[in-house]
Amino acid sequence: MPNYRRFFLRGESPKVPTVPESIDSIRQQVQDRKELLVLYFNFDRYTKIEEIYGWEQLDQILETTADAMREFFEGSVLRGSQMMVSFNNDDDFVLFYVPQAGEPVPTDDDITMLTAQLHAIIAAKVEEMHGEDIAALFDTFVGRAHIHYDPKIRLERQLYRAIREAASSSNSVEQREFGRKAADLRETLRIGALYIDYHPIVVADTKDIFGYEALARGKMKSMRRPEVMFEVAAQTDMIWELSRLCRNTAIGGMDERLKENQLLFINVDPHDFTDPMFTEMDLDVPDPSRVVLEITERTAIRDYPKFRGRLKDFRDRGYRFAVDDAGSGYAGLGSIANLEPDFIKLDISLINCINDNFIKQSMVEMVVRFANDQKAMVIAEGVETKEEYDTVKQLGVHLVQGFYLHPPAPPPATPGATA
Amino acid sequence: MSESSLPVILVVDDNEDNAHIIRDYLEAKGYPISVAYNGDEAMTLFESMKPSLVLLDVMMPGRDGWQVCREMKGHPTLGRNIRVIMVTALQDWMDKRQALETGADDFIEKPFELARLVQSVERNAALLTPAS
Repeated sequence: MPNYRRFFLRGESPKVPTVPESIDSIRQQVQDRKELLVLYFNFDRYTKIEEIYGWEQLDQILETTADAMREFFEGSVLRGSQMMVSFNNDDDFVLFYVPQAGEPVPTDDDITMLTAQLHAIIAAKVEEMHGEDIAALFDTFVGRAHIHYDPKIRLERQLYRAIREAASSSNSVEQREFGRKAADLRETLRIGALYIDYHPIVVADTKDIFGYEALARGKMKSMRRPEVMFEVAAQTDMIWELSRLCRNTAIGGMDERLKENQLLFINVDPHDFTDPMFTEMDLDVPDPSRVVLEITERTAIRDYPKFRGRLKDFRDRGYRFAVDDAGSGYAGLGSIANLEPDFIKLDISLINCINDNFIKQSMVEMVVRFANDQKAMVIAEGVETKEEYDTVKQLGVHLVQGFYLHPPAPPPATPGATA
Repeated sequence: MSESSLPVILVVDDNEDNAHIIRDYLEAKGYPISVAYNGDEAMTLFESMKPSLVLLDVMMPGRDGWQVCREMKGHPTLGRNIRVIMVTALQDWMDKRQALETGADDFIEKPFELARLVQSVERNAALLTPAS
């Protein structure tokens, strides 16, 4: 498997050099032409992709991105540009463009148009190679700086200043865009513009449907990915409101979507337990034993005794618990044991290509043994291939979720849904 | 897998006795073997011999096994088609996580039985892409 990110981090990429490596190759051109356009491409949420899917996946996405960018620029007015990775942020890209004699420097409008085209092309390429969910997760922001060469000042210094200026202008584009998303979220909450994707969780041995995980998605295009929606909500202090809407919508669809013996898995953030309107009595569920609250291992829990007390209130009422993203960190199984879960959902990074990696297999085996001791069930999510399915089944994983068994359903057609 | 197509294995261990036992045993099974006794030597042989499998001891003076694994897996051309078996006891979760992050594919606990070693070599050899 290519370790692309490491090439970037260490400047070893055969395809994309780092900034210092590129300066010499454009020195003469800048001195002759006396001007340079610097574009800074800030790909938002690549870090999130790594958190969710693991570094192997991000390496591949960076490779796809670099290929798509190179292909795009070769056919654009910026043909002949020098592309490289940012010096201090390996998943951002920097482009140096020295205009040819007699050719005008592209205007702001040209750049805005190119950015939109580039974003569409990268998104399409990422979707084709890595799936729709990942493609919907990232955004592209581009900042620009146009410099006129001053022979009194060292070229390197001028270039680094220009990169900083372009990076900061890409951030202000990002801030404007964030403002737009916050407005979309407020509207989503006001009119309840959510729908629920019910992802089947099946019994590994029989493939019978055991239950469904409710994944809330916004009807507005910008709110399609739950991660994006919750990130915006966290930054605008609307997380409780969003969580309530998601929970109620998911529970509201239970009768219609689930058979009586099937369970509903709902994602709950540990911060939701501080919401005065989230109590074991407030959820409108006729049979709490059919509802499993999923708590991610990723969020730090500040007050463990209090948190466990709240879990107990829910448990006494009949609700069950799952630890989500289990094994994503270094913490091991101790922190999982503290929550006494009924279900342990393995982190996707452990499932991705598990058939190919015996260390992952031994980790999953460890979790299965632990779960069997604790009378809990293990769920492998993100199972996308037959090989992954066969491997987790053979390792004793009880339940399986993923596109190998059930491909993603298209979003429901709703007028104005792509606002 | 026929004997002629058995993959080239690089054995890396600073303990010469250990390295020779592994080499002799795998050679007897028909595998072409190279041996390196430290990390620097391992990287040199890695580039000249282009092995498909590496059996890598973790505790070595200088560049340790983790660092060597990282460098091999990050190699721009050879890193794609190589499988690395760490020779160490990855007992707890943290050790296994760390091993995953260096890019390792498998591990065998030390001290190991030779039969277990062959089993690990064979299951990794079976996953090598034909081109490698």
